[in-house]
Amino acid sequence: MTIGRHPAAALLALGAPALVGTVLATAAAPAFAIQYLNVEQAQHTLYPDANRFQDASLQLNTEQMRQVEKLSSLPARSVGWRIFAAYKDNQLLGHVILDDVIGKVELISYAVAVAPGGAVQQIEIMAYRESHGFEIRNAAWRRQFAGKNAQAGLKVGDGIANISGATLSCTHVTDGVRRIAAIAQVALKA
Amino acid sequence: MIRRAQPWLGTLVEISVRDDARSGDERGDHIGAAINAAFAAIALVHRRMSFHAPDSDVSAINRLAIGDSVVVDAATAEVLRCAGMLEDVSAGIFNLACGQRLAAWGYLPQPAAAGQTAPALMLASTYAPHQPLPRAVIALDAHDRVSRCGAGWIDLGGIAKGYAVDRAVAALQAHSVANGCVNAGGDLRAFGQHGFTVSVRNPLDPTRVGRTLDVRNQALATSACYFSRRDIDGVAHSALLNGTDGLPIVVDTSVSVQAPSCMLADGLTKIVMATGDPRHALLAQFAATAFIL
Repeated sequence: MTIGRHPAAALLALGAPALVGTVLATAAAPAFAIQYLNVEQAQHTLYPDANRFQDASLQLNTEQMRQVEKLSSLPARSVGWRIFAAYKDNQLLGHVILDDVIGKVELISYAVAVAPGGAVQQIEIMAYRESHGFEIRNAAWRRQFAGKNAQAGLKVGDGIANISGATLSCTHVTDGVRRIAAIAQVALKA
Repeated sequence: MIRRAQPWLGTLVEISVRDDARSGDERGDHIGAAINAAFAAIALVHRRMSFHAPDSDVSAINRLAIGDSVVVDAATAEVLRCAGMLEDVSAGIFNLACGQRLAAWGYLPQPAAAGQTAPALMLASTYAPHQPLPRAVIALDAHDRVSRCGAGWIDLGGIAKGYAVDRAVAALQAHSVANGCVNAGGDLRAFGQHGFTVSVRNPLDPTRVGRTLDVRNQALATSACYFSRRDIDGVAHSALLNGTDGLPIVVDTSVSVQAPSCMLADGLTKIVMATGDPRHALLAQFAATAFIL
């Protein structure tokens, strides 16, 4: 049973250049989009006992980037990382590290809780948007969502249906978490 | 409605809870605890039934030499029993021993990466592609002890997501959640008096909606190859295979099954997909229905 290339994929590839002009017009309405948690909600979901979150964002230096790549076997990708330290009174409970990953059709924002010793404790998806291949690969489309999950800027959530279909692999999130675990080892470990 | 999502089972698992019985902080704390318990139930399935993790029950079974045995978690045993039953009633269309084939096609890791040892590696060369998959490669006794009877790596990927959804639903209900929905990468189950709107992907354009339906006190699972299809030596493959001929199932359609449990819905999608028959006789036997898009 051999059936050739997906006909819709071929059409999409042919149609993409002609559709570039419409990307911005349709960009505000991804095919499927949901916000689960904003930054504050993610902090409290990951560390319910914390009573203070302090900005601990960091810039990796060249040597740290090299170590992250060695530990994770992945490109370090970003120099700057958005991080919050979770405290109960003056006791450090751990860190919340924020990241976004891009898949075949999806853009996912997520938060990772890392213990002071560097172990990954919990992962929460903050926002999920999905669109056609040509949009997801378009930097302008992705920029619309940059930082939007930080506040209530993305009007998605209630009323959005569940999606049923073939399973979409979350390899990109898994890789992203591996990279974050390496960053925690290199730059956050107590 | 409170919705949260975490990555488990190689996909995103989403839990939605609608609980009008409580109010304020008490409600939020209670639902938060219930959702945490549901994710913990899914995490257990992930750990015990992963093909990838060397310390899972599935990897322990795949390391067994013929004649050897190992005791598995009660949850793994429950899934193995259901998978064995589906293999029997479908005359091998649904097949547990699909691990080698999926690894050879690159849909599962190669054995070394999965921590396999020498006896299992030797099993890899025991049969060629394009032959029926071996049946009943393992036996399970009443004490959850699994014995290997024949060669072939098992993989529970065709059914474990559905089981994880059922366990998560049970965890939410044990925390007195009246209304909710658990969705593991497209295999979902809703419970309670309120229905949940579900959009089934259009198989020809999967980022668009093909059909919308209301799911209430029921499971819905969908299988298709639009995300897993790839060419190997110029031949189209997918992560779905038919156990009776050992060939990948490559179609432009998607199969959705509604059933009382998500494990059955998940398993039955593979049988309907392989046969192309949305009125397959097995569906009625399990109080299930199917549609093809």
